[in-house]
Amino acid sequence: MIVGRRGRIVAGLLSLLVAALVPLLLPVGMQNLAIGGALAVSVLYAFGVLSVVVLTGYVGQVSFCQATFMGISALATAALVNHGLNYFASAAVGVALSFALGIIVGIPALRLRGILLAVVTVGVALSFDYFFFQDASFGWFNGGLSGWKVEEATFFGLSLNNLDFDHLIKVYWLLLALFAVIAVAIVNLHDSGSGRRFRAIRDSEVAAATMGVDLTRYKLLAFGISAAIAGVGGAFFPLVEGAVTHDPFSFFHSLTLAAVAVLVGIRFIPAAILGGVFLQLFPYAIAKLEQGLNHQDIGLTWFNAVLGALLVFQLIVYPDGVWGSQAKQTSHALSKLPVARRPVRAVQ
Amino acid sequence: MSLLSVKDVSLSFGGVRALDSVSLELNQGEILGLIGPNGAGKTTLFNCISGVLRPDHGQIRFEDQPILRLKPHERAQRGIARTFQDLQVWHSMTVLENCQLPFDALSGRSTIADALRLPWANQVERESIERARAVLHSLDLLEHSERLAGDLPVGLQRRVEIARALAMKPKLILLDEPASGLDADETNALAAALNRIRDKFNVSMLLVDHDMSLVMRACDYLYVLDFGELISTGRPERVREDPRVIEAYLGAAAEATTEAETVKARPKKKLEVLPPVSPQPLLEVKDMSAGYGGIEVIRGISLTVGRGEIVACIGANGAGKTTTLRAISGILRTNRGKVTFDGKDITRKAPEAIVRLGMVHIPQGRGLFPQLTVAETLRLASYSGAASVDLTPALDAFPMLKTRLNQAVGTLSGGQQQMVALARALLVQPKLLFLDEMSQGLAPAVVQQLFERIELFRKSGTSVFLVEQFVDSALAIADRAYVFEQGSVAVEGPASVMRRDRDVIAGAYLGTAVAMAEVSSNGNGHHASALLADLSIKLPAELKRAVQERAASEGKDPGEMIAELLAAGGRAK
Repeated sequence: MIVGRRGRIVAGLLSLLVAALVPLLLPVGMQNLAIGGALAVSVLYAFGVLSVVVLTGYVGQVSFCQATFMGISALATAALVNHGLNYFASAAVGVALSFALGIIVGIPALRLRGILLAVVTVGVALSFDYFFFQDASFGWFNGGLSGWKVEEATFFGLSLNNLDFDHLIKVYWLLLALFAVIAVAIVNLHDSGSGRRFRAIRDSEVAAATMGVDLTRYKLLAFGISAAIAGVGGAFFPLVEGAVTHDPFSFFHSLTLAAVAVLVGIRFIPAAILGGVFLQLFPYAIAKLEQGLNHQDIGLTWFNAVLGALLVFQLIVYPDGVWGSQAKQTSHALSKLPVARRPVRAVQ
Repeated sequence: MSLLSVKDVSLSFGGVRALDSVSLELNQGEILGLIGPNGAGKTTLFNCISGVLRPDHGQIRFEDQPILRLKPHERAQRGIARTFQDLQVWHSMTVLENCQLPFDALSGRSTIADALRLPWANQVERESIERARAVLHSLDLLEHSERLAGDLPVGLQRRVEIARALAMKPKLILLDEPASGLDADETNALAAALNRIRDKFNVSMLLVDHDMSLVMRACDYLYVLDFGELISTGRPERVREDPRVIEAYLGAAAEATTEAETVKARPKKKLEVLPPVSPQPLLEVKDMSAGYGGIEVIRGISLTVGRGEIVACIGANGAGKTTTLRAISGILRTNRGKVTFDGKDITRKAPEAIVRLGMVHIPQGRGLFPQLTVAETLRLASYSGAASVDLTPALDAFPMLKTRLNQAVGTLSGGQQQMVALARALLVQPKLLFLDEMSQGLAPAVVQQLFERIELFRKSGTSVFLVEQFVDSALAIADRAYVFEQGSVAVEGPASVMRRDRDVIAGAYLGTAVAMAEVSSNGNGHHASALLADLSIKLPAELKRAVQERAASEGKDPGEMIAELLAAGGRAK
C-alpha cells in the first residue's frame, strides 16, 4: 500500500461524513419513508459488501453465501426480540450465530480452493435460502410465511413503534457510526501482523504455511470475521424495516453482493459504502423512473441487467474495481509529488 | 549432533517413484548440498521435509524429534524455513511486510489486539519492523523495503525469499535452487553470502542446485540423487571424482567445460558437410518491425535462413529475440516489413497457416500439453496428413522416451519434456524449426545432450533457427549467427568467426551495456563502481565477462571502464 494507514482512515471517515450529511441536504419533498428506508438499508448492504472485501479481497477465499450470513443473524434477532429479549442482546446472539456459521462454512475451505469452494458456498446459500429461511417446519426460526414483525422493541432509545423519516435517519446515522468503527478496526487488522497473515494466505498458501502461518486457524478466522460483519448488517434489518422476511437473503442476493464488491473494488474498504448505496439506491431510482414506487421488482430486473453489463465493462476498463482504480491512480499521482513521499523510517 | 535426519524416505506419484529409500544426515552448522539431474527428486524431498508432501514410507527427525506428523507451520515453529524454486514471495505485499510475516506468524499475535491497535500490539509491530529491517539490511535489501515484492526482478525476489526465511530465525534453511536465474557473478556472490549468513545467523542449510560452481563452493558435504535414489555422498572434492556421479551428472557437465577445444575442430568439419547454399533462402525477413500495445520492440529486422542451415540468435535479455520469432511465426502481427518463407509471402498470415507450410515453433516453456501421455503427444504430429505415425525415428533419437511412452508429459522433468518437444518436431519433419531458449532451467548435462540432437534435424533436411542464452554451445553447432541488440540485429556472420573472436559479440553486448548504464546513471546517479553490480540484474554473464576481460587487459576497474565508455558517449566497436 502506497498510501499510509492514517491517510486511508481519514479518507474513509471523510467519505462516511459526506454520506451522513446526505439526509440533511435532501429537499423536503424527498424526506419520506421510502428514501429514509433506502438510505438505511444501503448501509446494511454496505456491511454485506464489506464482508466480501475482507474474505475475498484480503484472504482470497471465494464465497457466494454472504447474504446467508446476513439472513441468519437477521432472522435470529427478529425471533429473539419477538420472544421478549431486548434488541441489543438479540442482535449480539444473531451476530454470534453468523460467526459460528462462517466457521462451519470455512471448514471445506481448508481443503478446497477456487471454483470448488465457490460451489460449496453456493450449496450452503441455496439450502439455507429454501429450507431454514422459508420452510414452514422452521417457523420458530423464520417466522413462517410472512416472516417476523418486530414492533415492540427499542434500541438505544430508538423505538420501533414509530417508523417515520426521523427514526430512519437516526438509524442511518447509528449504522454509519457502527460501520466506521468496524471499518477502522478492519484497516488496523489489514496493516497488522494478523492482516499480513491473511494476505500471505491470499498471495501464496504454501509459502504462508511453511513460514509458520496456521492455515486452519486463519482461514476459519477469516470466514468467521467476514460472516460476523455480514451478520452485523443483518441484525439491523428489523430496526430499519420493522419486519424481516427471507427475501433480502436469497442466494441471488449473495451473488449480487459478490458482483458489486468486484465492481466497486474488492480490496478497498471505503468502496463497500459505495457498493451498498449502489445496491440499494440504484434499483430504487430505476423503479422510480419506470413505474413509480410500487414496482420495485421491475427496478430489480433492470438492476441485474445493468449490473451485468457494468461488470463486463469494469473488468475490462477498471480491473481493480471502480474505487480501486481511482485510488491507485490517485496514490500514483501523489507519489510523484515530492511532498507526498513517505520519509524512510530510520532503523531504531 | 545431527540436526536433521532423513531415513529411508520413499514417495511415489501414480506409479512413478519420485523418492526411493533416501536417507541423509545434516549436522548442526553444516551447509549440505543435494545435487542430481533434473527429475532426480530433489524438490520432492524438500517438500517432504517442510511438510508440503507426506512420504509413503520412512522417518524424518529434526533435533531428534519425529516431525512427520507435524503440519508445515508447526515445522516452521520448530525452526525449519525454506525458499522455493518457483518463487513464492507474497507479491502484493511490500518487501518489508514479506520479512515481517515470519515474525508475526511465530509470535502468536492476538487478532483482537491488532484490530483495536492496543498499545502492546503497537509494541509488537515496532519490534517486528525492526527485526525485518535488520534482516533486510544484512542482505542489502533495505533500499527496496517499501516496494511490492512482485515488482522486483527475479534475482532480487530470490534474495527476498532468503531474507524472509532468515527472518524466522530458523535453525535450518532449505534452499531450493537459489541460483536459478542468476548469472555467474551473482552465483559467486551468493556462494560467499551463504557462508556469511551461516556464520552470522547461526543456521544450517540444505541446498539444492544445478549450478555446480555454487554447490562446490558453498557446501561442506554433498549428497547426489539420481532418479530418486541416493548414488553418492561425500565432501565436494571427493564427489567430483566419484565415477558414478560423473556418469549421472558431472560427466557431461565436465565435457561442457572442455567444449572450447572440441568445438575448435568442429566448424571446419561443418563447412565440408554444408549443403550448397541455394540461391533462394528458405526464410527471408526484410525490414520487419513489431511490438506490443503500440510500443515497437523490434525495428528493421532483416535476416535469412538457408536450406539445411542452423542459425543461432543471441543477445542480452530483452533484445527482441523472442519477439522476432513470434513475429515471424505469425503469433504477433508485424507492423512493417516482409516475410518470405519457401518462396511464399507469409507476412501477416495466421499462425496455423504458417505452420502448415512447414514452420514449427517450440516456444520458451515448450508448449506441451501436460495431461497427454508421451505417446499421445508424439502422435499429434500426424496433423501433417499421415494416418498412422511411425514413432521409430523419434524413439531412435531419444531412446529414453521408450520407457516413458505412457506417462503424462506433465510428470516428466524439464529436460525430458524438452526431449518430447524435440521428438515431436522431428516426426513432423518441418522445413524450419524455431527453438526458443531450449536450455532454460535445465542442467548442463541435459543441455549438452539436447544440443547434440539438433544435428539430427540438419540430417533430416530441416533448417533450425535457435534463440539461446548458452552462447558457447549455440555457436558451436550453428553455421551462422545473429547478435541482437535493443530490438535490432547488431552483428551477423559465420558462427565460427564469432566463436573465435569473442570481441565481436562482446562489442555488441557492450553496446547494450553502455545504453543500460546510461539509463541507470541518468536515473539514479549511480557511481561507476556500483554500475556493474546494478547491471548484473539485467545482463547475461557473457556481457559482464566481456567488460571484465577488456578492463583487465587494459588494467582498469570494470566500473571505471563503463564510466569511460559513457563519457565517450559511443559504443564499443
